[in-house]
Amino acid sequence: MSDAPPRTNDRQDLVAIATRELRTVVRTPAVVALSVVFGLTVVAVTAAGSGSRGGYVPLVLDLVPFVEALVPLLAFALCYRAVLSDRQAGELDVLRTFDVSRPAYVGGVFLGRSLALVTVVFGSLLVAAAMVPVLSPDKPTFLALNEAADSPVAFVRFAVLAVLFALATAAVALAISAAARTARQALALAIGLLVAFLVGVDAAAVAALASGTVGIDAVPYILAVSPNGAFRSLVFGVAVETGGAVSPLTALLGLGGWVVGALAVAVVTAWRPVE
Amino acid sequence: MPDGETPANEATETVATAQPNDPATATTTGAPEANPTPGPDSSASHPAIEATGLSHAFGDVRVLEDVSLSVAPGEIVALVGPNGSGKSTLLRFLAKVRAPDEGTVTIGEAGETRVGYLPQQPGFRSGFSAEDTLQFYAQFVDDEIDVPDILDRVGLSGAANRRVEALSGGMTRLLGLGRALVGDPDALVLDEPASGLDPGMVERLFGIVSDLAADGTAIILSSHNLGPVERTADRVVVLDDGRFVADAPPREIVESAGAADLQTAFGTLVSTDGVDGR
Repeated sequence: MSDAPPRTNDRQDLVAIATRELRTVVRTPAVVALSVVFGLTVVAVTAAGSGSRGGYVPLVLDLVPFVEALVPLLAFALCYRAVLSDRQAGELDVLRTFDVSRPAYVGGVFLGRSLALVTVVFGSLLVAAAMVPVLSPDKPTFLALNEAADSPVAFVRFAVLAVLFALATAAVALAISAAARTARQALALAIGLLVAFLVGVDAAAVAALASGTVGIDAVPYILAVSPNGAFRSLVFGVAVETGGAVSPLTALLGLGGWVVGALAVAVVTAWRPVE
Repeated sequence: MPDGETPANEATETVATAQPNDPATATTTGAPEANPTPGPDSSASHPAIEATGLSHAFGDVRVLEDVSLSVAPGEIVALVGPNGSGKSTLLRFLAKVRAPDEGTVTIGEAGETRVGYLPQQPGFRSGFSAEDTLQFYAQFVDDEIDVPDILDRVGLSGAANRRVEALSGGMTRLLGLGRALVGDPDALVLDEPASGLDPGMVERLFGIVSDLAADGTAIILSSHNLGPVERTADRVVVLDDGRFVADAPPREIVESAGAADLQTAFGTLVSTDGVDGR
């Protein structure tokens, strides 16, 4: 008989859960297949596009729309049923009898799934970057004037921003998986938010501008409301320094807000405390 | 549900006191003024599980009506009742994975003890072996856990490396029991642990339960296997329409019903005409 008091080591619990999530991801064929598709797409865009032949900055501009579309897709595929599956299997109930806290559980799921996501996203982009020296002509013809502005550092900044973007969308997907009570609800929420992120917020900004509801100065801030808009602003403002529509800090707060807000929603909705 | 109108509900007052050699410490009742009455051994130890005044409704459907129950260390309490009588709901409250609309549940003297819980339909993360699964849960307790020993106790040594999705229904339930045993909890809440098991495994399961109780673990389980329940349980609590209609050692229930065995007594105590789906 154990007389030990309930455990309070959230960090150990979080690591245990994260490890299981990571092992689950690598054992899920559909997720592995989607990750491979993501990697191949990035490589294919790099190989087929003209950007890689021009240098790192042009490659970033080639990749931005694909990353904007595919990263949320991959993040949602990885996370949108994570908590829901545990709830439906009754594992959430059992974990609670082991005194696992909601922050430790949600944090563990987020850490484990995000590690897989970040590995795929960052790894694929690094492969793309590695192709630039191979694909670039020995003697650039038209980029001579631009060479000073082009640097692998710009691409690394882009890759880091893509990771932040991935974390934000993963957190949103995790919030969906915690808040949804059925697989149908989770799927509907995931598709709805994906559409909103990809086109909805941009369209809303245009509509608001067209109707005169907001002025032109407010549009960049509306765009920063969505993870996609914030990511795009950061890429153009920080990574390639072409001049973003929103200040980097605003966009960064936008992405950070999505991560924190979504994880808070996931913690609150994962389960209702008994006491 | 009308109060006290059915013959079954009249049996609520046929509460029996624990026998002197039983570890039972309390009785159950649907009436708030008749909350748990200490049995002969109650001064020896605090109840491992104590529930007081539990009431709950799903929408307009009342599933529990002011029920109170306590389980002493080393005691085996069997919760029986027809399908839809509220057993699983009550057990979730006792395991503290759901909160009732009204009432309190205390596990251990100061509510600090972990309760091992076997849900009615135990589920596991697919892709992992039975041993991996228990190793995962072993990380949440401070003690060193001998997972192979747990697998051996529940009869799954031969399936230690089998993936959980390849286990039969009965084996899945045994793995659920093994998971509940991780960390040697002082109290166990088992929702139909014998469901889907062959007769030999049912006997083995109740043997495990008896051994655990002999070591001081408080156990409350629901079951439709009334033969083993009659032989193993210290007390049988009969739940019908969200109320306790009997609470006594199995022999007393059988005798008070004038029946030959618990199965027959059960038929006289409860109505099994309808299922409310709780």
